[in-house]
Amino acid sequence: MNGLLAVYRREVLSLWVTPLAWVLLTVFLLLQGAIFYSIITHFSSMPEVSADAGPLQAYFGQESIFLLMTLLLVCPALTMRVFAEERRSGTIESLLTAPVTAASVVLGKYAALLSTYVLIWAPTLLYVVILRKTGIVDWGVVGSSYLGLFGIGAAYLALGTLMSAMTKSQLVALLLTIFFEFGLFILGVGEYIFDPGLLRDVCAHVSMMGQMEDFSRGILDLRRVVFDGSIAGLALFLTTRVVDSWRWG
Amino acid sequence: MIEVSELTKDYGTVVAVRDVSFTVGTGEIVGFLGPNGAGKSTTLRVLAGFLGATSGRVRIAGHDIAEAPLAARRSLGYMPESAPLYPELRVSEYLTFRARLKEVPRAQRTNAIGSAMERAGVSHMASTVIQHLSKGYRQRVALADALVANPPLLILDEPTAGLDPNQIREVRALVKELGSDRTVLLSTHILSEVEATCQRAIVIDRGRLVAEGTIEELRSRQKTAAFTLRVRDEQRGAEAVIAALSGISTLSALSDESAPERRTLRVSLDRALDPEAAVESLVQALTNAKIGIHALVPEQASLEQVFTELTRHESEAQAAAEDSA
Repeated sequence: MNGLLAVYRREVLSLWVTPLAWVLLTVFLLLQGAIFYSIITHFSSMPEVSADAGPLQAYFGQESIFLLMTLLLVCPALTMRVFAEERRSGTIESLLTAPVTAASVVLGKYAALLSTYVLIWAPTLLYVVILRKTGIVDWGVVGSSYLGLFGIGAAYLALGTLMSAMTKSQLVALLLTIFFEFGLFILGVGEYIFDPGLLRDVCAHVSMMGQMEDFSRGILDLRRVVFDGSIAGLALFLTTRVVDSWRWG
Repeated sequence: MIEVSELTKDYGTVVAVRDVSFTVGTGEIVGFLGPNGAGKSTTLRVLAGFLGATSGRVRIAGHDIAEAPLAARRSLGYMPESAPLYPELRVSEYLTFRARLKEVPRAQRTNAIGSAMERAGVSHMASTVIQHLSKGYRQRVALADALVANPPLLILDEPTAGLDPNQIREVRALVKELGSDRTVLLSTHILSEVEATCQRAIVIDRGRLVAEGTIEELRSRQKTAAFTLRVRDEQRGAEAVIAALSGISTLSALSDESAPERRTLRVSLDRALDPEAAVESLVQALTNAKIGIHALVPEQASLEQVFTELTRHESEAQAAAEDSA
């Protein structure tokens, strides 16, 4: 536990003393700002807005494709260096010869990435504050929407952590992560393509857009949470095995 | 403190270390010696727990590294070969991280970091970003890291590689000082380093242990002792005089360009001879031949020759085998 905490603190420190986290934060907020601005201008020209199809639902739900696209950009960039850099520079050698288990190293690093992800999202709470000035905000919907985003982030970041552990090259880690996360995203689009049946049900289940639509209406579907959690859990378990396997390289 | 028995490590089909067994007792400073690519780093990485052994057992401070890896790692401070550090952190931040990772209790952390920095000589660099440090200082920060949890065993992989002569001297002095109250195993391919700091050496070549013993024991394995002889020799007859003596032979002879009568010879003495008597007869013979002796200097870096003899045998035998094939 001590080891996990030490790894966590070092990882957060390294993320925020280098430009990476700041660059990602800036790019992310610019994109989110643009998305939110266009949604707001769209709604401001509408004569009447119903309570459960307002700008908040549009931002987190119906138009979540934009938001998810920015995540496909930000998450892989956030995770690409987490193991690849340590292996390239050799610092992994001092890390793994300290009295710390592979699981602590993986979880410590992952927790640091997840905290950074939350920090990057934090400023978007201002959007809600802005909306509050001009109308009514359903805080339950805000809560469930952020929970949905947290779940997606948890899954994406764990996948990225695994990919970063698979290669010494940050670029390869980035591309692999984009490949898998984009694949997962595209699978969800299948919901709108396939005829009703098993395939369409599967696609609807794993759809990140579907998840955001549900959560933005305040529907907390446990299956979605379990799905995100399973991806994260499996990816982290595999990462631990990969880290252990380096001893036999 | 370290017990290695029949350690083998292979990378796929390449065997890096084969059947190596040795022990290092508590309080010893032991040099782990071998040419580049001999398997020194691989062995040390196995000891430090970074690599797993293909077969064989390793015990660190009584803990088997396969069965109790954390306990084994807790009792050692390891400094990897290239001293890898996080370039974006300050020295104090890095050492705080390492102290936390190595479970130094919070109350003692500040003191532990302070004294590690002091011993490694980086106290004045505490708030410098590691990126801006020279190679020598990075090496010292890595050393401070190895020391921070005050482990009873230090494993240092080429601690003086890439340092300038002054820094090398400082690190050697530090290793000696550290060795007064703990066990140190350090690898190097520089012989004088072992002679300067270690009580005992383990010589490894091509993944196999080729010799082990105190510096004196290793030196006594040498088959010949060499001397440098400076003489005034107008007739160039020194070689003939030396050749007439049994067990003494000339290795090389050089003349001073400006004064051809001044010559420098390297002479080797068979170890089987009594060296004092041999030198006496050599001097006698040269004096009788009217050759003036200016200097007769025994070559002290004799471990160098042992090392060459030990590690060259195999490659020469191999080269011979390849020639005949």
